[in-house]
Amino acid sequence: MKAQVTGFLKNIVNIKGTNKGLLIQLNDMASYTEILDELKKKVSDPALEGDAEVQIQLAKRVYSKGQLDEIKKVIHDNSKMKVIGTKCDVVTVEECNRMIAERQSETYVGIVRSGQVVRANGDLVVIGDVNQNGRIEAGGNVYVLGRLKGFAHAGASGNKDAVIAASWLEATHLKIADELETMTDELDSLSEQPEMECAYLHTSGKIIIDRLQELRFLRPQISTFKGGS
Amino acid sequence: MGEAIVITSGKGGVGKTTTTANLGTALALQGKKVCLIDTDIGLRNLDVILGLENRIIYDLIDVLEGRCKIHQALVKDKRFEDKLFLLPAAQTADKNDVNPEQMKELIEGMKAEYDFIIIDCPAGIEQGYKNAVAGADRAIVVTTPEISAVRDADRIIGLLELEENLEAPKLIINRIRPHLMEAGDALDVNEITTHLSIDLLGIVPDDERVISSSNKGEPVVMDPSNPAALGYRNIARRLLGESVPLMTMDKPKPGMFGKLKSIFSSK
Repeated sequence: MKAQVTGFLKNIVNIKGTNKGLLIQLNDMASYTEILDELKKKVSDPALEGDAEVQIQLAKRVYSKGQLDEIKKVIHDNSKMKVIGTKCDVVTVEECNRMIAERQSETYVGIVRSGQVVRANGDLVVIGDVNQNGRIEAGGNVYVLGRLKGFAHAGASGNKDAVIAASWLEATHLKIADELETMTDELDSLSEQPEMECAYLHTSGKIIIDRLQELRFLRPQISTFKGGS
Repeated sequence: MGEAIVITSGKGGVGKTTTTANLGTALALQGKKVCLIDTDIGLRNLDVILGLENRIIYDLIDVLEGRCKIHQALVKDKRFEDKLFLLPAAQTADKNDVNPEQMKELIEGMKAEYDFIIIDCPAGIEQGYKNAVAGADRAIVVTTPEISAVRDADRIIGLLELEENLEAPKLIINRIRPHLMEAGDALDVNEITTHLSIDLLGIVPDDERVISSSNKGEPVVMDPSNPAALGYRNIARRLLGESVPLMTMDKPKPGMFGKLKSIFSSK
């Protein structure tokens, strides 16, 4: 019994099959060079399946990008396995702060006039109009309680799931992550009465405008509200 | 203690100088002591519209650089006994020859003597605008029912709202053509005020006599029967605290055919 428990902990590298493919567990107490040596030995085992997809479990240890690249290289050079991702139980303070900032919501009350820019790291709520040549930018989603007639950019730090929602959506430009759409007359998704609408990035890579009611089906993850009856 | 008001618009040609001249004149007609300051250095016009071009001896730059005293540079409008004065802009200098601190100090020093100091701002949002706004207590934004003028007004209002010493700006819609508004071919008063969402101080109808009187050097406001003059007089009264209802626009009277049409369509 005792031997089994310590046996697992003693393993520097552990390869395990899961229902989502193989998982390579790296011991977070072992030294880095030890891990590399052991990893090389384990993955070159001819008994392993050919071109399986693997994930690496890093546990409670932060590896630099260079180290991660080295680990992946060892796996790719010594086996046919393909690394599809890494799992880590810890994040750096920097990463953590960024994640918190992106989840927070900031509110701007007033009119965003021509030439003005309002930016937020997380979600942005504007209570008031955004006039032509006014610009609002958010790392997360953009919500306008008013007429959006200017430029709105959601997911400014790359989040493709971000949306733009407005009581009145007649923006000149919409941008989600890196995709820009100019709201010209040729666009067939433009409605006569742009009341209560939202814009999101479709899997085709195009920005689509839909009724605000559809948002709960399009992006259910936006809702953070728990409970209720 | 007087009040300094800057007249601005962002866009050129919407009627800042005409508004300055007419509001100043209207306030002088109401018995207030008014000084108009032209800050459009290098492109001065206010003196021409007031018909005071020939009387200029010294200008704004001369005062700021100490070449003369303020009272030597002020041009008195003889039509209004000691009520209306003009401090003309220099024509041989440019906007960068003045800085906002100088303007602030100058206007602060004049407030004791005048009821109203009206500052005519140049077009644009650069140095000239900054100089004009520096000494003001409140701002009036002039626009016309054209999209381009309204866009620029929006930009200017955004900038004015950043100024800490300034009261919330007020709006004048100039050059209104009732028939275009009626037909929906021009932005209407409501649309403009909702879009800009600031208080409306008054409206001024478009009138040919504004041009002809400016060319003669007599502000149109002196002719009490003129609709544009009425618009300016109403604005002046509102500035003095009276509550004056917004003027109704005269619609062209319907002809014989129009009358018949209205009879049938009413059924």
